[in-house]
Amino acid sequence: MPLHDVGYRGWQGARLGPWSAAAAIATTGIRLAWTSRWLRRAVFLAWSPALFFAASFFAFEQAIDEGRIESLQERAARGRNLDGIGLLGTILADTLGRPEQPPSRPALSREAETAATRRLVWSRLLLAFMRAPQAVLLAVVVGLVAPTLISRDLRAKAWLVYFTRPVGRVHYIAGKLAVLATIVAAVTVLPALALWMAGVLVSPSVWVIAETWDLPLKVVAASIALAIPTVLLALAYSSLTAESRIASFAWFATWAACWIAHSSLVTADLAAATAPQAAAVADAADIDDDEWRPPPQRINWLAKAAGLDTTIDRWSWVSPYHAIGVIQAWIFGVETRPQAVVPPAIALTSVSVAAALVLAWRVAAPMRA
Amino acid sequence: MTPAPVPVRLDGVVKRYGRRTVLDHVSGEVLPGITGLVGPNGAGKSTLVRAILGLVRLAAGRVLVEGHDPAREPHVVRRLVGVVPEDECAVPGLAAVETVRYAARLCGLPAMEALRRAHEVLDWCDAGQERYRPVETLSVGMRQKVAFAAAIVHDPQLVILDEPTNGLDPIERRAMLGRLTTLAHDHGKTILLSTHVLPDVQAICDRVIVLAAGQVRLEGTLAELTRPVVPQLRLEVDAAAVDEVAARLTALGIPVTRTGGTSLQLPAQHAAGLDRVWRATREAGAVVRALEPVQERFEDVFLQALAARPQEASRAAS
Repeated sequence: MPLHDVGYRGWQGARLGPWSAAAAIATTGIRLAWTSRWLRRAVFLAWSPALFFAASFFAFEQAIDEGRIESLQERAARGRNLDGIGLLGTILADTLGRPEQPPSRPALSREAETAATRRLVWSRLLLAFMRAPQAVLLAVVVGLVAPTLISRDLRAKAWLVYFTRPVGRVHYIAGKLAVLATIVAAVTVLPALALWMAGVLVSPSVWVIAETWDLPLKVVAASIALAIPTVLLALAYSSLTAESRIASFAWFATWAACWIAHSSLVTADLAAATAPQAAAVADAADIDDDEWRPPPQRINWLAKAAGLDTTIDRWSWVSPYHAIGVIQAWIFGVETRPQAVVPPAIALTSVSVAAALVLAWRVAAPMRA
Repeated sequence: MTPAPVPVRLDGVVKRYGRRTVLDHVSGEVLPGITGLVGPNGAGKSTLVRAILGLVRLAAGRVLVEGHDPAREPHVVRRLVGVVPEDECAVPGLAAVETVRYAARLCGLPAMEALRRAHEVLDWCDAGQERYRPVETLSVGMRQKVAFAAAIVHDPQLVILDEPTNGLDPIERRAMLGRLTTLAHDHGKTILLSTHVLPDVQAICDRVIVLAAGQVRLEGTLAELTRPVVPQLRLEVDAAAVDEVAARLTALGIPVTRTGGTSLQLPAQHAAGLDRVWRATREAGAVVRALEPVQERFEDVFLQALAARPQEASRAAS
C-alpha cells in the first residue's frame, strides 16, 4: 500500500458553478498551448513591432518637447518626409500637412492644437500597429493554437471527458474561446496598451492620460473586433475535423486566398480606372499595350494601415484582414463613411454567426453518433 | 418523511437511431449496491448509459437519476454521476494527476481541493507512482486506473463503469473489483457495471440487468437469477469418503448425484432432514467441507436468457 494512501474518503465541500468548468478548460488549454515552442516564439515575435512603434511615439513626443512641431507641420505641408522617422513621418505628413481647419472653426490655442495633434498621431500609430503587424501575427498565432483545440478532443475522444461531467456546450465553447482570447490579448491588446503606456511615459506631462484616455478603450474594442470573427472561424474549422493539420491548412488557406482575391479585385479596379488614361498616354507616346503596367502604389503597407489611403475599398469585405482593418479604423475614428464600414461589418458578422452555428452543431456531433 | 429516491429509474425508455430501435421500452431500476449491466454487443448498453447521463434524446419514456430527469437537469445529474467510458479518453498532454485534477475542476471542485483529491484518489487506486507521467505514455491498465480515479474524484453518488477491467492483469482486476465493492458497501455508492466479463458480475454484483436487442431480458438479484428451478444442495466431503457417503445417503432414500471429485448434489427438499445427512457423513467417517445451496453459473443463466434469440446466444457464448 502506498505510504500516503488514506483510503477512499467522501467529499462534501461546496462546489463552484458551471462557469468554473469553463475557467478550468481555459486555464488548462492555455497551459497546454503554451507548451508549444513555436507559440512562445510567435508571441515573443509579436511584441517586437511594439519597439519600432515605441520609437515613433518617442520621436513625436520629442518633437513636441523641443518645440519642433510647427516646423514639422510646415515641412509636412510641403510634402517633405520628416526626419527619417519613417512611418511616423508619413502619418504626420498626413495629419498635419493637409488643411485641417475648416473656415468656421475658431483658432485653437497652442496647447489645444498640440493635444489635438497628439490624439490624431497616437490614434493612427495605434491603428497602424494593430492593423499591420499585429493582425498578421495574430493570424499566425491563432493558426498555431486554434486548430488543435477541438480537433484534438475529437481525435482523443476527449469530448467524453467534458460531456459526461456537468459541462454544457456553452461552457465548453466559452472555455475554448477564452484560450484564444487570452492569446489574442497577449498578441494585440497587451502590446498596444504597453505602447500607449510608453507614449504616456515619454510625453512631457502625465496629463496626456487625460487627453488620450479613450485610446486604451479603443484598443480593447479594436482587439475584440479582431478577435471575435477570427477566433470563431478558427474554432469552427477545428471542430470540423479530427485532423488538426487540415484545420490549420484551412485557416491559413482562408487568409491567403481571401487576401489574394482582394488584391486581385482591387488591382482590377485600379486597372479599369487607369486604363483609359494609360491608353491615351500609350497612344500619344506610341507605346505598345503589352508594355503598359499599372502605376505603383503610392502608399506603403504600414501607412495604409494607419488609414492614409482615403479611397473607399469596396472589396474589403472579401478578405478578413481588410474587413477587420476597416472596422478597426472605424473604431479609432479614422474611417467614418458608412459605404466603407457597412459591407465589411456585415461580412464579419455573417462569418461570425455562421462559425458560431457550425461550432455549436459540431461540438454536439459526437453525442448524436 | 419522504423515502430516498431510487438511484436510477428507467421507465419505458425508447431510443431510435433512424429506423433502428436501440432501446425498446426499457424499464427497471438500479438500486444501491452493485448492479451489473450485461448483454451482447449491440444490446444497447452504451446507449442506456448515455440516456442515464442525458446525452441522447429519447423517443419515449423517462429516466430518473436520484429523482432528477437528465433530459431536463443534465448538469444536476452529471454532478451526481461518475463515468468510466469504455473508450479511452483523455486530454493529451496532461499528466495523470493533472487529468484527475482537471476532471475534479470540471465537476466544480475548487482548484486546491481538486489537486488534493486527485492525489488522494490516485493513491487509493494504486496509480500514485505514475502520477506525473503523461497519460498517453501510461500502460493500458494504468490508464484505466487513472480513468477510474477521474470518475470518482468528485465523490459521485452513482458510478457507471463501462468495461472497467479491460487491460488489467488478474491481480489488478481483483483489486479493481475490490475497490468497487468498497465503494458500494462501505461508502454507500451505487455502481452500475457494464461488462462482458460474466465472472466479474458473479463475483461482485448484487443485482443484474440483462439487456439484449434493446430489451430487458432479465432483471433481479444475482441470488434470484442463479437459483436453480429445482433447488439443490451441494455437499462436499473429503475425497476418501465420498463413495461411502453417497452409498449411505442413497440407502437412506436420498437421491444423490456425483458432480465432481468430492462433491455430491442432493435435492433441497431433503434439507428438512439434514440431521440424516449429517449422521450419514459422520458414520462414513467423512469431514464435511461444504453444504450449501447450489447456484447456477451466471454465464448459463445469461445464455439461457438469450436463448430466445439463438444468434445472440451463440455470439455471446463465443
